[in-house]
Formats: sequence, C-alpha cells, structure tokens
Amino acid sequence: MKVLPSMTPGVVRDSDGKLRTGEVAYEFLAFKLGMETYAFPLAGVQEILKPPRITRVPRASPEILGIVSVRGRVTTVIDLRRRLRLTELPLDKNTRVLLVDAGNEVLGMLVDAVLQVYRLYEDEVELASSVGGDLNEYVMGIGRPRAVRTLGRATNQDRNDPNDILILLHAEPLLRR
Amino acid sequence: MAGADDESGVREEFLSEAQEIVETLSRDLLLLEQSQKEGRNDPDLLNDIFRAVHTLKGLAGMFGLSSLQTLAHTLENLLDDLRLGRVDLTQEALDILFDGIERIQRILASGDEQSPLDISDLEKSIDRVAEAVPGERDVLRDFSLGENVLGVLTEYEEHRLRQNVTQGTPIYRLRVSFGLSLIDTALEELKARARPLAELITFLPSMGAADEDVIDLEVLLASAVDQEMLREALCTGEALLEPITRKDQPPRQVERPRPAAPRGEAAAPKAEATPAARPAVPPPGASRAEEGDAVEPSVVEASSLPNARTPNTNVALDRVGADALSLRSVANTVRVNIQKLDHLMNVVGELAIVRSAVAQITERLRSHPELRYLSTELHRIARGFERNLTELQDGILDVRMVPLGQVFDKLARVVRQTARDARKEIRLEVKGSETEVDKLIVEELSDPLMHLIRNAIDHGIESPERRKELGKPVQGLLGLTAYQKGNHVVIDVSDDGAGMDPQRLRRKAIERGMVADDEAHEMSREDLLNLVFMPGFTTSETITDLSGRGVGMDVVKTNISKLGGVIDIHSEVGKGTIVTITLPITLAIISALVIRVAGQLYAIPLANVQEALLLDSRAIRTVEGREVMTLRGGTLPLCRIRELFRMGEHVDTGRGSRQFVVVSQLGTRRIGLVVDLLLGQQDIVIKALGKSLRSVRGFIGATDLGDQAVTLVLDTPQILEEVLASNDRRGLEASP
Repeated sequence: MKVLPSMTPGVVRDSDGKLRTGEVAYEFLAFKLGMETYAFPLAGVQEILKPPRITRVPRASPEILGIVSVRGRVTTVIDLRRRLRLTELPLDKNTRVLLVDAGNEVLGMLVDAVLQVYRLYEDEVELASSVGGDLNEYVMGIGRPRAVRTLGRATNQDRNDPNDILILLHAEPLLRR
Repeated sequence: MAGADDESGVREEFLSEAQEIVETLSRDLLLLEQSQKEGRNDPDLLNDIFRAVHTLKGLAGMFGLSSLQTLAHTLENLLDDLRLGRVDLTQEALDILFDGIERIQRILASGDEQSPLDISDLEKSIDRVAEAVPGERDVLRDFSLGENVLGVLTEYEEHRLRQNVTQGTPIYRLRVSFGLSLIDTALEELKARARPLAELITFLPSMGAADEDVIDLEVLLASAVDQEMLREALCTGEALLEPITRKDQPPRQVERPRPAAPRGEAAAPKAEATPAARPAVPPPGASRAEEGDAVEPSVVEASSLPNARTPNTNVALDRVGADALSLRSVANTVRVNIQKLDHLMNVVGELAIVRSAVAQITERLRSHPELRYLSTELHRIARGFERNLTELQDGILDVRMVPLGQVFDKLARVVRQTARDARKEIRLEVKGSETEVDKLIVEELSDPLMHLIRNAIDHGIESPERRKELGKPVQGLLGLTAYQKGNHVVIDVSDDGAGMDPQRLRRKAIERGMVADDEAHEMSREDLLNLVFMPGFTTSETITDLSGRGVGMDVVKTNISKLGGVIDIHSEVGKGTIVTITLPITLAIISALVIRVAGQLYAIPLANVQEALLLDSRAIRTVEGREVMTLRGGTLPLCRIRELFRMGEHVDTGRGSRQFVVVSQLGTRRIGLVVDLLLGQQDIVIKALGKSLRSVRGFIGATDLGDQAVTLVLDTPQILEEVLASNDRRGLEASP
C-alpha cells in the first residue's frame, strides 16, 4: 500500500471505545461533490480557503476556473465538478477551495463542501487496482469506513451513514489530460 | 564571522571603483595633452579630470586611506588652479598630473594603501609650475561689457571669458526669451544646439521682461565659427545675437597678456573654491610638514624632464615590479550599470521572437515534401540557435547575481547592536551566504530582513534570566539560512525564542477590532499567524524603541510582495519562530499599461506598447476578412482582444461605444489590440503561471495590482505572432 501517504501508525480509539493498536491508519480529508463523497490524502492538503476572487484565464481548458493569489502565490484553481464531469452547481456558502499539492505545483480545487477527516485502516481501503472496472487514473481507491471516527469537526452530520463510501483521489493525475 | 569577508568585500569595491576612476583619468589626461599640443583648449575635459580626482579623494577619505587622499588632494589643488586659469596648462603641469596618476596607480597596484607616502617632490614641482604663471591683466575691461555683467560672473566663468578673449575667440551676446514653464527644456535644447559651435560662458537672467511668465536671458558665448552660421543655428524665434566688440579695437586681434597681479592675490580665493571638500582633509601645510620630516626630500631635477618618474620610498627594484603591475587592472571585475543588462535582456527577448518565427517557417516548410531537406536543415540550425540563446540568457542573468552574503554581513552588525540594546545574548548562525540572487533583490532585502531580525530579538528570544528558568541555553539562537529551491531562493529567519501563540493573536485581533468575533473563530492556525502582517497589529503591551509599534510586519510583507516574493510564518509556543521568505531568483519589475476588456483587467508590458489611441470605428476596413485601420499612412492589422479570448458580448459600463487601440510593434510588424478601456500605467512584478497553464498561449504571467484579484499579463509578442500567422495562413489559402 505504498501509494498511500500519511501513515500514522499508533494507538487509535474506535467510536465503540475499543482500542486498535499496531495497525496502520491513513488520514483523508473528505469533501462533497454533488451527491458523492470524495477525499484527498490529508498530508497533501495544505489549506482550506473560502473561494477568493478568481481571475478567469481565457483559452485555458474548461475545468480550469482561473487563478487566484494565495498570499502572493499565483495558484491555478480547478473546478473538480467539471474535471470529474459532474453537473455544475452555483457556488454557495459551503463552497471551498482546497490547496492540494499535486506534485508539480499546488492547485486549488473547488469543492462543494468540506466534510471531515477520516482515519482509515488498511482493511478499510480498496485500492483501485483491486476494484477493477473502469476507474479513472485519478481514483486511488475506495474507502469504506466501518464506523465514524471523527477527528476533525464534522460540518455535515447527515453523512455518517455506515454504508458511506469515500472515493479516494490522487491529486497529481487530475492535471494530466 | 562576517568581519574578514566584509572587509575584503569593501576593499574590493573600493579598488574596483578607484581603478576605474584612474583608468578614465589616464585616458582624459592623454586627451588633454593632445589638445594642449594642438593649441586647443578643452575646459570641459579639464573639469572632468578635476571632478574625477575630487571623487577619488572623497573615496580615499571614506576608506581612511590618508596617503591616497593627500595625493589626490594635492593634484586637485593643481587642477583647480589650472581650471580657473591661475596656472597655465603647460607641458610641465601635464607631467605633474601624469606623475600623480601614476603614483595613485602604483599605490592601488601594490595593495598597500596605508603606508605613508612622500609627495614632497611632487609638491615642489607644483609650486614651481605655479610660480611660473604669467599673470593676466584684465583684458575684459576693454570690452563693451557692463559692470552688471562682469560683476556677477563666477571666478570660473570670468576665467573662461578671459581665456577666450586672450585666444582671440570672438565673444557674442545672445538674448533669448523663454516661457517660464518651458525654461528647463528650452535651455537644455539651446545648450545642445550651441555646444558643437560655441562655448557657453554664462546665462544671466535680465530684467524688464514685458510678460511675467517670460524670462529674458542674456547668454555670453565664445565661438570661432562664422557669425552667420552661429546666428542660423541659435536664433530660432526671437533670439538676438550680437557680437561684443572691443571698445577701441576691431575684434579678433589677439592681445598678449601683460604681467599681472602677484600670485598671492590670485591664490586668496582658492581657499573657498571647494569648500565642501576641505574639512575632510588635513590642511595641506600640515601633511606637507609631517611627510617632509619623515622622508628625505627627493631628487628635484628629475621632475623637470617630461614624464619624469620621481622615486618614492620604494627601492628601485621594487619599483620595476610595481610599474609592471600598474599596467594591469587590480580587480578582475567590471562595474556595469544594471540598466545595460536590462537592455541586453530585452535584446534576448527580441531574439526569442525571431526564434519562434523561424520555428514557424520550419513548420510550414515541412508541409512541402519537395522542401523537406531544407526544413530539416533549418530545423537543425534553429535548434543550435535556441541553445545558444538560452545560454546567452542564462549568462546575462548570472551576471546580475550577487551572493546574499552582502546583506547578511550587514545584518550581523544589526544583530550585535540590537542584542546589546535589548540586553539579550544572541548567537547568530548564518548559512548559505553564498546563495545568489538578483542584484536588485539584494538591495531591497536588507530593510525587511533587518526588521525581522529586530522582531526576533525583541519579541522572540527571551531574556537570559527567563531562558535560564525555562532550561534553555542562556544564549538565544538566531538563524539566517538561505538556500535555493528550484527557481526560488528561500531565506529563513529563525529563533529559538518564545514563539507565537495563535490564541493570543486571535484575542488581540478581536480586541483591536481587526477581525469580527465569529470570523476570528473560523480562522485556521495559518490565518492567525498571518494576522501579524495586518497593518497596525501588535501584541506588544509596551512599545520599545525596537519594535512593538505595530508598524513593520505589514511593511515587511508589502516589500517582499513587491519583489514578487512571499512570506510565511511557522511558530511553536515555547520553541521559536521561523519566518520564511521565498523570492524569485530574478526580479522582473516592469512598467505596464492596464487595460480592460469585457470587464476583465489585463496588463500589457509598456515595452511592447508603441502608442494607444481612441478607435475610430469609421476608419476600420477589412482586408480578406480581417479588420485593419490606417495609422499615419500605414496599414495596422487589428485584433479584438474580446474575440481573441472569446469573451462574449459583455457590456462594459457607461462609455458608449468608445474603444481604444493599443499599438504594439515588434521589429517591423505592428498590431493594434482593440480594448474597452485604458486604465493607466503601473509598475508590476510578473509572477509565473503554474505548470497547469503552460499550454495556454497569450500570457507571460500574472500580477497583483494591489487589490485582491490577480491580473493576467498579456504576452503581446506571442499574440502578434499568433494573429499575424493566422493572417498569413489565410493569405496562403486564398492565393492558390
């Protein structure tokens, strides 16, 4: 599982109070796009911003919303909905821009809402290669949290359905087309 | 750590500057000698030499090189006498000057600027030259020049007038009137026109102008050229030229100067001649006496020979070595005005355009199979060209680079001083002083860095007592670390002090009403730490001399952003703070024209803008479906930015149908960019776009215009290429 960064081995307390020790856990930041829940490895997420004023870049590919200045750094912002070919929605008060390290550069990713941080164990992650089928290259795998272990502040309590699945994303291939 | 490096750096600076002055001096002296031999008189040149020696003296004084200073001072006095005509410019005087310059050169070459120097022989020769001066009788009284004119001439002007009269050069009076508002430019223009023909002696404003906004000037000038020619060149408008004649004699007849007032009189005003320069220098008499005592008077006869070399304290054998050295430059460096490098860089930019044009032609040739071999050949050559061009570009950038050690050394002194003032014990650890950045960036860095260092010492590092209590080493650690990271240089200013508490920052910000309560609670740790960059933010309860007034960090941030850099803070309570400055290695501040199209702002580098004008829609014609307009008899292809960028029909508010054309020229080709509004000119720092936008053509980068939104900077050369190439293609398609 070396594709997964952000390893935090150690003692973790489950929501049912049981201690799980000696296992490897991975942290993901979950966010909402349309009806689905996606997540980036937490280590790659540098900041969460309210959408700043975005300057459109004429003739850029359609999923590129434009550029913003984050404390003086010119950063490209990608509309993840367009990139993942989901229907578009207008921005609302929950819309956020995630600054994600995509290898070559830090990208801003426009998402509908930020949910929470999930800590997943090895047995809660299905890698894309084992899922098979027609997954895009930016999909790292599927996360299936058995129970909710909230580390961050949940902004959207209705997502705590045990049948939830997280679509785990690689930031880097999102740029390649 | 800085001491030795610092000193050798300063010495190097001094040597290279002094060397340069000496080289110019030698050149000018040779020219002066030549003009003297030809019987000409070149006051400008003499003035240049005087000023150069004066500069050298000041420089030597600044670096405490007393022997060099004394030598320069002596020469300066002689030059002042020569300049004011108190001493004649004879071969002997020239020899003394040459001798003096050679001695300076020798001092510089020997690298021993400190040891005392014997110049008594030189001074003796100067005295002899000065005594031999044939005085001048006042020939000016014979001229029909009023006391109102003669009375106000400076010593130098009077001397020049007298010299010209003595040489028999006719003197003219030119009366001109200038409008008050235009006087500076008009005067410069007049000077420029007159300079090749005449020597302008003085400008005297005269009374009695009819109009308050007009100044009448009386210009005295000496000229050997024909009066009519002079009149033609100088008399534009209402200027009036009249020759000034001798009261009793026809002009042009030279009168031999008669024996004049004793030299003592002439020497009297000398003391005031360069008042500014005096205080820094020991009285010449004093140094003369001291050095005269210390060293045997040298051979006097030798100096009467042309170009004689008088021995100094070195023995003969050493002198051979020194002489050989003196022909070589001491410092292996060249001082270059940074603007010259900017110019070279622009030329490289032009070449890059040529390269892309060649690449396009290559591409077009490729579609003709019968020309395949030509296209291959051209491609190969273009590749070589490109390689060399890149190398050239890198080379120029490299020349602009200076090590950060230059500012770090200065900062070491700041640290020492600040620590003493704050009664704290600080150990400074400097790493990466060899890291290089653009010269302009180094200049702009010292203030922000100084501020950060003071902050770290004053707020960050605890007092020795407190540190002892905390179990930290008594000596606080201040780190200055520089390293290169890709296309950027990173500078960390770190301390192992108290660190910053985000909660405390939050409280302070709310207290001071800088952020709303609920807003403050949503802020991330980064946001909270970044509060310190807000204008007026301070957490200091007391204001010290060093910091705590809440001015500073915002200024630091502004200064860094002006350089196209960013500043970040990492801090841990109890452990310390790291302020990280990330800067571009080279600085690209340019002037740009800000324009608006379909509600969006764009910047166009002013270097690419030839002119901007109102678009007259009636003047638009089409050629093969492309819009063009006539501009001063030429055809200007138009490019509507709105259409090029497919921006749709956004209605721009409140200016009817007016549009503007920004004319951009590249080599011989022009294009008119049609925009909605011109917003004015601004200096901008171009920041590169991310790799994700690499394939988007038409922009060289983006910039912050001060308000929050980022503004794209148009790549006019590329747009021009693109538009004209598509025109060409249409042309090709249309013709067969």
